[in-house]
Amino acid sequence: MTFFDLVRKNLFRKKLRTVLTTFAIFVAFLIFGVLATFQNALNSGEESASADRLIVTNRINFTLSMPISYVQRVAAVPGIKLVSHANWFGGYFQEQRNFLVAFAIDPQTYLDIYPEFVLPQAQRDAFLHDQGSIIVGKPLADKFHWKVGDRIPIKSSIFRKADGSDTWDFTVAGIITPGKSDVDVNFVAFHYEYFEQTRTFGHDTVGWMIVQTESPKVNERVAHAIDAMFANSPFETETKTEAAFNKAFTEQLGDLGFIVTSIVGAAFATILLIVGNTMMLTVRERTNEIAVLRTIGFTARRVFGLVLGESMLLALIGGILGLGGAFAFSFVLAKLLAGRLGALAFSPGTALIGAVLMATLGFLTGLLPALRAMSLDVVTALGRK
Amino acid sequence: MARTFIQIEAVTSMNLRSIPQRLWTSLATVVAVALVTGVLLSFLAMSNGFRTTVQGTGAPDVAIFLRKGSGSESNSIISRDQIQLLLDAPGIAKGSDGKPLLSAEMYAIVDGIKRSSGTKANLPLRGVGSNAAIVRRGIRVSAGRMFRTGTPELVVGRGVSKQFKGFELGGTIRLASQNWKVVGEFDAGGTVFESEIWADVVLLQGIYQRGSTVQTVRARMENADRLKGLQTYAEADPRLKLDVKAESDFYAAQSRGLSDLILYLGWPLAIAMSFGALAGALNTMYAAVDSRMREIATMRAIGFGGTAAFVGTMAESLLLSVIGGALGAIGTYLLFDGVSAATLGSNFTQIVFSLKLTPALVLQGVFLAVVIGLAGGIFPAWRAARVPLLAAFRDP
Repeated sequence: MTFFDLVRKNLFRKKLRTVLTTFAIFVAFLIFGVLATFQNALNSGEESASADRLIVTNRINFTLSMPISYVQRVAAVPGIKLVSHANWFGGYFQEQRNFLVAFAIDPQTYLDIYPEFVLPQAQRDAFLHDQGSIIVGKPLADKFHWKVGDRIPIKSSIFRKADGSDTWDFTVAGIITPGKSDVDVNFVAFHYEYFEQTRTFGHDTVGWMIVQTESPKVNERVAHAIDAMFANSPFETETKTEAAFNKAFTEQLGDLGFIVTSIVGAAFATILLIVGNTMMLTVRERTNEIAVLRTIGFTARRVFGLVLGESMLLALIGGILGLGGAFAFSFVLAKLLAGRLGALAFSPGTALIGAVLMATLGFLTGLLPALRAMSLDVVTALGRK
Repeated sequence: MARTFIQIEAVTSMNLRSIPQRLWTSLATVVAVALVTGVLLSFLAMSNGFRTTVQGTGAPDVAIFLRKGSGSESNSIISRDQIQLLLDAPGIAKGSDGKPLLSAEMYAIVDGIKRSSGTKANLPLRGVGSNAAIVRRGIRVSAGRMFRTGTPELVVGRGVSKQFKGFELGGTIRLASQNWKVVGEFDAGGTVFESEIWADVVLLQGIYQRGSTVQTVRARMENADRLKGLQTYAEADPRLKLDVKAESDFYAAQSRGLSDLILYLGWPLAIAMSFGALAGALNTMYAAVDSRMREIATMRAIGFGGTAAFVGTMAESLLLSVIGGALGAIGTYLLFDGVSAATLGSNFTQIVFSLKLTPALVLQGVFLAVVIGLAGGIFPAWRAARVPLLAAFRDP
């Protein structure tokens, strides 16, 4: 019998207890995995942001627009590779509760500046050539059963057409897929030109600009140059890196980081107690037999390893099961929350933190009982009933 | 029957008195249950606080007019001509000057700096006239004074100054490319209005180049039943393409989404965590029963029934979990009750609210604790009730 066999046999001696303890660990890691996935999705805008992209918004508030003439003026700033712009549409499909993130964009520059929004070449060409067409994110296409070639009506809670209608009809030209797992494609986008021709107010303005710089090194200089150019005008601007803009946007929801950390903290404090307590119990029950082991030649260090190994193995089994559960659950969540929350995917980073947590949990819960087992006075322990 | 009761009493009191012998095990269960209850109650308090704030906003006898289909104040727009038509609408109460109590208000979004994160967040800047505080009830300037018409002064809701930097009374703040003097703070009875900044409507229309348009019109009706008449009036006139709602309904609809979301997150999380705590409770109680095997068997041998052993174990489990539940509730109350928080509301602006724990919510938390106690006790209790007499002679 190897050392590992002994650890394994010990662990499963009281089956019910082990199953219960494993279950408690499983639950804690499930909670951790699911919440971390949520948090990743909320932060995906920050994570997936490209270092060389800047966002230019109206200084008063990003919901206000700016003149379209700014696009040309910004393009002339040295250090800039590409400028694109977009406008918020306040879109929804059929009913107001089917809220859509919908933008009116400058198609060519927008797709060039965001290479992570992947479209097949044919669909991309079709979109660029048809002013009345729209591209839709994959999760939304799945949710509303949109296919390439479909005519879909999108309503706006902000804009009106000349005839007073609030509905714009588009042909689906393409379906956007994410180029990386943390890219959020829960949006639809259509031609700014078409939007401009059909809307009744807000003419010659854009919502915000997206700037690609020659390198992240010039970001600060470029941002400063842009904002200085429009200072003291009726439409002052504020230029930030894409990551900073997205972060501020997420922060608006509240201190989610604190909430997630508190819950995961509470869950782990709970199992730390439960598992630690169970391990203590186990060692106490085995006092006799540990003394026997010592008598037949097991060193104190081996006994220490035996107990610590057991708690490590316990944490590992429960932890892997929990993370596996969270991994499976993330697919269900992504389906359920399509169109509402960005890139919901279980990330390797989460798995890594999970592994660290497993090791820490196993160590912390096993340490005291292992020390106790190691320092047993053999003679007294043997005599104890 | 009476004998069973006496036995139950004896065994229960013996079990409870022996808890200190298993102090750490029992304590672990108590703390685990307390943490679970605490997480549940924090979520419930958050959901409740947000709902109370939003639902408590608006009165049933105040009508709000918005552009058809706009859904929120910031998306709405109402022209001067439409306001003129509304002045003649039926059923609107008259002020002391004999004019209809109508408040035409501009709604703009500006940036505030959140104290918690130091980042920018959307704040509503409402342009109002003198009727705004009359149409709404319960608006009271709690510090400083009201702004003077035509001057760049503003008053802020209590929630704004609590959660955002730079709104100190007497200070100057730059909003909408303009320097403003903060001259007052107002109390709006814990409603959404406390998350708003108010300034002179005419001044704001000039700054935003909005001519004489506003976002919404509010009207105090003679009574809540006048709403139907107003809706009919608006529908009859093609120039009035407006949605007419009771202000209370308008806000009630906004409260649902987020407070439900918090509930839908809170309960499953708490239930998942309770399974973890349950596993702990079961381990503790099984260990308790195992360590008492001989004792239980001996008592059986001298005539104690299985029922007494069963109830005694259940009582111990319940006591531990109820103490845990109570600790969780007290902890949540001390840590979170009344704590101010802010999130993005349906107007795309911040809503400041306070976490609020009520007795009804505490009851839900204690209920969860009791369920954990029952479930964690029943199987070990069953084992205790069926201890064979022979166990009395077995080695422990």
